[in-house]
Order: sequence, then C-alpha cells, then structure tokens
Amino acid sequence: MSDELKLIDAAKGGSVDAFTELVHGYREGLLRFLLTRCSSHADAEDALQDTLINAYRYIGSYNPQWRFSTWLYRIAIRNAGKLRKENLAELGDPADPGADPLAHCIADSERDNLWRSAKRVLSDEVFAAMWLRYVEDMSVRDIASVLERSSSWTKVNLLRGRRALEVEMNGTAGNAGSEAYG
Amino acid sequence: MDKLAKRLREDAATIDAEISAQLDSRIQASLAAIEPETVRRQRKPRRRPVSFWLASSLTGVAATLAVIAVLNVVDVDEPAAVSRTVADNTMPPIEIPVLDLDVEAATLTGPLARELEDLQADLKKAEEVMRGDVRIDF
Repeated sequence: MSDELKLIDAAKGGSVDAFTELVHGYREGLLRFLLTRCSSHADAEDALQDTLINAYRYIGSYNPQWRFSTWLYRIAIRNAGKLRKENLAELGDPADPGADPLAHCIADSERDNLWRSAKRVLSDEVFAAMWLRYVEDMSVRDIASVLERSSSWTKVNLLRGRRALEVEMNGTAGNAGSEAYG
Repeated sequence: MDKLAKRLREDAATIDAEISAQLDSRIQASLAAIEPETVRRQRKPRRRPVSFWLASSLTGVAATLAVIAVLNVVDVDEPAAVSRTVADNTMPPIEIPVLDLDVEAATLTGPLARELEDLQADLKKAEEVMRGDVRIDF
C-alpha cells in the first residue's frame, strides 16, 4: 500500500493530520489553477479552502481507481464554478478586466505569459483541459473525468487548444486570436 | 517534451501561488472543525430525547412510589384512635369571670339595650357550652 493510500485511509478515519499531510503537496498547484478560474485572488483562496473542506468531508467517497489529484481537481472545478455563480447572482456582471488575479500573480518577464493568452482565446473548459494536461500531467482519461466529459471530447479539444496556443506562441495569430476554441 | 508543452509548464510556474500563513491557518481551523461523513455516520446517533424521556419517566415513577411508601408507613405507624380515660377533677375548676354589664344600662337607648340583652344571652350560652365542654373533657 502506498504512502498516499495510507494517508487516505487515516483521513477516512478522521485524522486531520493525515489529511493535511496528504494534500500539502497539492495545495499550491490547486491555488495556481484556481487563480486562473476565479475573478479575484480572494475568491481563489476561498475556493481552495472550500475544496479542501469538501475533500476531507467526503473523502469516504474517494475511489482509489482514480488518482487523488484527479478527484481533488474535480472538486476544485465545481467549487470555482459555484463561487462564480454566487458572484454573478450577487454582483451582476463580474467581467472586470482589472480584477484578473493572474495579472497580479504572474512575475514580470520579457515575454507574455502564455496562460494569459490561453485565457483570452480558449473557453473555460478547454483552458482547464490544457492546464490539467500540460501542468498537472494528467492523462486524457483523468482530464475527461475531472471535466465530466467524454475522452473523445477531451482529445479533440486538447488538439484545438494546442493549435490555438501555438498560433499565439508563434505570434502568427490571424483571426484565430479572437476565436474561442472548444 | 515539445516546445509548447515546455513553454506552458514554465509559464505556469511563474504564477505566484504561495499559500500565506493566514490562509494556512484558516484552512487548518476549518478542517479541525469538521469530520468526514464516514466517521459521522459510523458514530451512533445520540438519542438524547428518548433517553431524556425515559429518565424523566423513571424519576416520576420513583417519586410516586416513594410518596406511596411514605404514606403507607405513616398509616401503619399512626396509633389507632384510643379514647383515654382521664381521672375526674384532676384539674382545678376554671373560674370564669362574670362581667358586670348592667352598669350603664340606664343610659342606653332601646335598640342598644336589646343588643345588650342579646349579647348577654350569647355570653350565657357560650358560658354554658364551655362549662359543658370542660365537664366532658375533664
């Protein structure tokens, strides 16, 4: 039995320490991902907190046939979506370009951050699929599970996302730059 | 790893996602305040209302039994009414003072005189009753 499975079993028995150790390595990656999906840094932190709380509360429903990170990201995406809906209901139009948390979190560099371009040209789901594939190294099957989509949908949209970002990266964007893929 | 994948990975790493101490303590506090559903379900539900009702009922029954027992004990221990014979003339005769109520009769009007007579009659009756009682008891 791997260390992760032992920690999961201990967490299922109510050990907060085991759960904390279990998710410690995932927290930064989750927050980084949530920063790309939430409208503010504070929302991303709230979504991370909710994600970890829900994961601990419902850890009994975790199925070891999936990677633990797959399960965590699935919860994170749901929480981010829920938070966005709540903000929409409370604040109306959330489209505040100055509120992009990525703009504050990306270190200054000579080149533009490709994920900011991705956010501009890809739909939310395709962006998430690209992130999970290229940052979290998830398989197509895992990505499909996180996004609750079919494997074929995931493959097709990963390919579309790649093409769109290659265009952005090579600076040869024609009309493709304004087209949202997915 | 192709060029795009490498670039995406590098750019993701430049996004600052440090967990602040404040967020960490918030998360820890939240986790400490909850427990997994599996643990919660395994724990037997505390049927406080039923046990409370049971305890109240037992207390009530015990109290009733105690009262009944006390009453029974009192009934048993209480001595039966016994007529005691007391020797006659063991007490000296009680001297009942006789009031001289005719002192101011001349100054009374008719109704008041009648009232005085009634009072005297009542007093006499009471005196007789008292004498009778004293005679019976002693």
